[in-house]
Amino acid sequence: MLDEKSAKAVAELARLELVDSDSHSRGNIVDDFVKIVGYMDILAHAQTEGVDPLYCPIIEAQPPRADEPKSRPGLADKILEEAPERVGRFFAVPRIV
Amino acid sequence: MNQLWHLTLCEAAKGLAEGRFGALDLVLACLERLKQTEPSIKACLTVLEEESLAYARSLDEKGRDPQKPLWGLPVTVKDVFCLLGAPTTAGSKILENYRPAFEATVVERLKAAGAVIIAKTNLDEFAMGSSTEFSAYGPTCNPWNLERVPGGSSGGAAASIAAGQSLAAMGTDTGGSIRQPAALCGCVGLKPTYGRVSRYGVVAYGSSLDQAGPLARSAADCALMLSAVAGPDGRDSTCSMRKIDDYLNLCPLKASDLVLGLPEELWSADFAPQVANVLEQAKKILTSAGVTLKSVKMPNLRFSVAAYYILAAAEASTNLARYDGVRYGYREAGKEDLNDLYFSSRTKALGPEVRRRILLGTFVLSSGYYDAYYRKAAQVRRLIANDYYKALKDCNFLLAPVSSIPPWPFGAFTADPLTLYQLDMMTLPLNLAGGPGLSLPAGLGADGLPVGLQLMGRAFEEAELLNAGMFFERLLPPIGWPPLN
Repeated sequence: MLDEKSAKAVAELARLELVDSDSHSRGNIVDDFVKIVGYMDILAHAQTEGVDPLYCPIIEAQPPRADEPKSRPGLADKILEEAPERVGRFFAVPRIV
Repeated sequence: MNQLWHLTLCEAAKGLAEGRFGALDLVLACLERLKQTEPSIKACLTVLEEESLAYARSLDEKGRDPQKPLWGLPVTVKDVFCLLGAPTTAGSKILENYRPAFEATVVERLKAAGAVIIAKTNLDEFAMGSSTEFSAYGPTCNPWNLERVPGGSSGGAAASIAAGQSLAAMGTDTGGSIRQPAALCGCVGLKPTYGRVSRYGVVAYGSSLDQAGPLARSAADCALMLSAVAGPDGRDSTCSMRKIDDYLNLCPLKASDLVLGLPEELWSADFAPQVANVLEQAKKILTSAGVTLKSVKMPNLRFSVAAYYILAAAEASTNLARYDGVRYGYREAGKEDLNDLYFSSRTKALGPEVRRRILLGTFVLSSGYYDAYYRKAAQVRRLIANDYYKALKDCNFLLAPVSSIPPWPFGAFTADPLTLYQLDMMTLPLNLAGGPGLSLPAGLGADGLPVGLQLMGRAFEEAELLNAGMFFERLLPPIGWPPLN
């Protein structure tokens, strides 16, 4: 049974906090979550025994290409420019050890 | 102010080819119209005024290039397409100042075809929504009634075209995000077959569902846009290798060529009376013209909302894991613990609807629930795709409504996300199956608001679909322009 505790566990996995602002603006996020997951139970009525799952409807996909680096001068610098914090040519994160 | 913004994309292309006006005249007309209407509709997140004027001038100086099918034509792109030199926000605070280091294939192809990109349009955050109310930068208003939503998630694109700000737009459709705003704003919108248009450089939501496509004022305009952007792309492994068809030289259809299937599961919905009246009238017009309409059964469509929201949310939770406050995007300051940095950056800069879908997706992918929800939904997806395949065996196209209700007042459903999800019932099954769909204006309701119809076809039959759309446009009543000053 889904409840606030299990919703919190899922939020933990998603690296999200269940914050109060959600309940002010959009109804209670846990209640909504429980209601939406409850609706999904309609799928129990679908006859899917022996049915192959369809994960992506691609037709005539690109064949894999050779794993070779391509030169894009200056691209690394441009990507690093987008980092909110960096140290030299590295992305900076808080200490983890 | 010149009135060139009234033209369709094809009319404008013809005018340029005949030398009746230049690229700068067209771009100026659209930018002036944009300035006039933007304070009321708020369709654009970035206006590329200087860049587009300079580019249009340079095009005029060099002279028209007949090899470039969109030469000098002002268009917009939804703010999920990466474009060099401008922000790409995806309607989210988490990407507020993000300037991509690369460009989407769609943008490259528009530019290569000579198009002038004048603005980037508003959307629900990460394309998650059907009203643009979930944009972190505020909602877009429907030009037909400023107190109503324009639909979404490509609501900025649709409103912008309806208001005359641009002649065509590129949007994306994950569960109806091109077709539904096109219908609610009285435009034409095409969701191509999955894999027909490259997703390279498009901010990802549901990667097995997302597909880029045009919105414009006619099916022929959509054909012109599609011919410029569609086709194989080695940078997107899900982009089909299949060559594109000729979308521009189509033999006019006869009514007797057309057998349309009407899915019972969609036509039996609870329609608002003003929508039902327009749909009934449209069906009468088609049958009087000699088009055959027949009812078809697609029994698994009743599971489509549940299957879609499981699969789309699962893909969203995976795709949006990249927003961690480290490599790009928003980062909460002053955090000394890495996990704390992730939690606070994501919670603060992702909106409630996005967080809701990430939670749902994380849940259905989590240990113990994967088979019951995610795998089960993918099996149902196969059944739904089979329903389309069977239904399209005996008819050329399927004909369905796009929305069961007219554009709704702001805030009407924001406290009830499940009802909002269920409103996508008309459009999202097609994304699960992967086929193409074209949304067309069917007429105006008694409330003066546009009502749309959609045609759905077999995979990669965009040419046939667009041709049928052109035929329908000749039969259905023109809706004119919104009452916008």
